[in-house]
Amino acid sequence: MTFRTNYTVNRTPRFSLLSEDQKARIFRGVIKTLNDTGANVHHEKVRELLANNRCKVDGKRVRIPPEVVRDALASLPPTTTIYSWDGQEEMCYVEPGRSYFGPGPTPPNFIDTETLERRPYQRKDATIVARVCDALPNIGYVQSLGSIDDVTHALSDVYEFADMIQNTRKVIMNWAFSEENVRDEHRIGIVMAGGEEAFKRYPNFIHYSEPISPLTSDFDAIGKCYYCAQHRIPQVYTPCSIGGATVPATHAGQIITAMSESMVGVVVSQLLNPGTCILIGGVQSILDMRRTIYSYGAPELSIMSAAFTEMLNYVGLPMYSTAGCTDTKKMELQSGIEAAFSIHMAMMSGANFVHDNGYTESGITGDVFQTVMDDEIIGMSRLICGGVEVNEETLAVDEICNVGPGGHYLYEDHTMKWFRKHWQPTLMDRNSYEDWDAQGRLTMKDRIIKKTRDIIENHEGPISKVPNEAKKDIEKILDEAEERVRSKSK
Amino acid sequence: MAVDLGKMADLLIAGKVEDVSNMTQEAIDEGLKPQEILDKGLIAGMDVVGQRFKACEMFIPEVLRSAKAMSAGMDKLRPLLSESEAKAAGTFVIGTVKGDLHDIGKNLVGMMFEGAGFKVVNLGIDLDTQVFVDAVKEHKPDLLGMSALLTTTMPRMGEVINALKEAGIRDQVKVMVGGAPVTEEFAKEIGADIYGANAASSVDKGREAIGK
Repeated sequence: MTFRTNYTVNRTPRFSLLSEDQKARIFRGVIKTLNDTGANVHHEKVRELLANNRCKVDGKRVRIPPEVVRDALASLPPTTTIYSWDGQEEMCYVEPGRSYFGPGPTPPNFIDTETLERRPYQRKDATIVARVCDALPNIGYVQSLGSIDDVTHALSDVYEFADMIQNTRKVIMNWAFSEENVRDEHRIGIVMAGGEEAFKRYPNFIHYSEPISPLTSDFDAIGKCYYCAQHRIPQVYTPCSIGGATVPATHAGQIITAMSESMVGVVVSQLLNPGTCILIGGVQSILDMRRTIYSYGAPELSIMSAAFTEMLNYVGLPMYSTAGCTDTKKMELQSGIEAAFSIHMAMMSGANFVHDNGYTESGITGDVFQTVMDDEIIGMSRLICGGVEVNEETLAVDEICNVGPGGHYLYEDHTMKWFRKHWQPTLMDRNSYEDWDAQGRLTMKDRIIKKTRDIIENHEGPISKVPNEAKKDIEKILDEAEERVRSKSK
Repeated sequence: MAVDLGKMADLLIAGKVEDVSNMTQEAIDEGLKPQEILDKGLIAGMDVVGQRFKACEMFIPEVLRSAKAMSAGMDKLRPLLSESEAKAAGTFVIGTVKGDLHDIGKNLVGMMFEGAGFKVVNLGIDLDTQVFVDAVKEHKPDLLGMSALLTTTMPRMGEVINALKEAGIRDQVKVMVGGAPVTEEFAKEIGADIYGANAASSVDKGREAIGK
C-alpha cells in the first residue's frame, strides 16, 4: 500500500463539547472547591491519612490543597487491565476512548422474565442477568440490575457477587454495603482467580461505591474506597448527583461538585497505593422539577456525561458514564428513544465504562429486556463510531473501474472480503411485509422477549467450568458471613 | 393604609420570603385577625401555587420558595393563633433513620409540608431511634415522617415504630415512610400508616390521614 506524506486520518467521528479554556475553568472550579471548602469525610482513619498528607482537617471537614490533587492525578495508572475470573482473557482494558457498556447496580425491583411483571429483585435474577450479559456481544462488563430481597438483607451484595461471577466470564462490577462485605467479595474474587497472587496479577472485578452529593464521603463509601485502594482492586467512586437539588442546576456547576466529591476518593486511593485504578463520573442528571424524580432519560444526563468524560480525559482519569436507561415503566417507544440517544452520546464521548443499560422507571426497576435491546443499539452506535476507513483498498477505485458502468459487485472478491463488516441486526426488523406477516407479525417487544428467553434457556455460561473446590470455598465464605451477621444481631 | 392581603398572597406566589414575613407582621400590628391573615393571605396564595403546580405553570423550586414564604408568615402568626386554630395547621416531624446520610428527599418533603402550613421539625439525618421517640413526645406532632435510601437502613423505620409502641405513644401520631427503595408493601409490613411515594403526594396523603 502506498505511503502518503502529510496524510491526515480522521477515522472516527470527533465529538467535543468543551474548549480547552472551558475545561481549564471547570477544573479550576474543582481545585478551588476542594481547597476552600473541601468535603466532609465521615471516617476517622481516612481523615488521619489525609491530615498526614498535607490536607487540612477540621472536624469532619477535609480541605485538599491543589498540590495534593496534582500529585494524585500524576500517580494514576495510564492503563489497567481486568481479566476473566480464570485469568485467561483480557476483558477490560482501561484507556481513553475505549468503551465498555454494562448494566447498573441495586434497583429494588426487577421485571420478572417470565411474567413481565415488576416485583422485588430475587436471588435467581442475579444469575439470569449474569448469563444474559455473558451472551450479549456488545455488553462489556456486568452489574446486577438489582438488590436481592430473598436472602439475608445485610448480605444481598455478597450473595449477588457469589452467584454472578460463576455465571459469566465478563468482568463484574460489584457493590457492597460495607468494608466487611467488600472483604467477603474480595475473598470470592481470590477464590475464583485461584489464589491471592493470581488475583493480584489478574484482578477479576471492579468495585463500585458512591459518595453523597453535595461533598460528602460517608463512612461506608470511603471505607470501601480505602479497602479497595489498599488491595489494589480497581474501583469506581462516583456520586449520583441531582442537578438543581443536591448540586447546582447548571451543568458546569454540577460537574465541578461531582468531580470534587469523587476527587476525595482519587486522592485517598493514590495516597494509599499509587497507580491503583479508580474511575469517577457517575450518574449526572437533573431533578425533574415537576415530578420530583431523578431522570434517567433526560437529555441533560447525556450532555453532562459527555462533558464530564471530556473533563476526565483532560485530567487523565477514566470515566464511569451512564446510558441505555429510561424513565418509563414498561418496554415501549420511550425506552428505545431514550436508550438510543444516551448510548450513542456516551459512545461518541468515548467514556470507559457506561453503566445503567437496563435501568427503567428512573433507576427503580432493573429490566434485563432493556439490556438486551441496548445491546443492539450499542452495536449500531459502535459501527457509526468506527468511522469511515479510507485507504487504497477501501477506496476501491480499481474495482469501480473493473466493474464499470452497468455491472454489479455481488461476484467481486472485494465484496466477499468486505460485506461481512456490514452490521447485522438481531432485533431490528428488515423483513419484507410478506415474511414479517408469515412469521407472526412480531413487534420489537416480541423479538426482545424471544431473544432474551432464548438466551436464558440456551446459554449456560461458564458455571460448569467453575472448579468444585471454588464452589465449596464460596459457600464457606457465605456461611461465615451469615454467622457474622447472626452474631452481630444477638 | 390597610394591609392588602391579596397583595400578600401575590408576594407569596412570587416567593418573596422577607416581604411576606414583614407584611404578616404589619397585618398583625394593624390588628387584623390572625385567622383572617392566614386564610386570605397565606393560604389564598398557597392555593394558587398548588393550582399552578398541578397545571405545570410552576415548578418545585418556585413552589418551595413560596412554601418558605408561607412558613415565614406562619412563624409570626402561630403564637397568636388560638390553640384550636394552631392545632388545625398541624405539626410534622421528619428525619432520616440511623446509618443513612441521605438528605434531599426528606428535606423536599419537609419543605412541601411547610407550604401546606404545617409546623415542620426537621430532625436531620443518621438519627438514633430514640431521637424520633423523644421528638414525638416533645413536639406532639400529627405526623411523623421517616426516610431511608438504603435497603440496609430501611428496617430502622420499623424499629422506630416499635419503639413508639413500647413508649405507649404510637397512637398519638400517624407515621409516614418514604425513600426511593421504600414501597407500599414495605410500609404496611412495618406498620406505617402512610406510604409517601413522592413529595407532593405525601402532603396530600398526610393531610388526608389526619383529616386536615
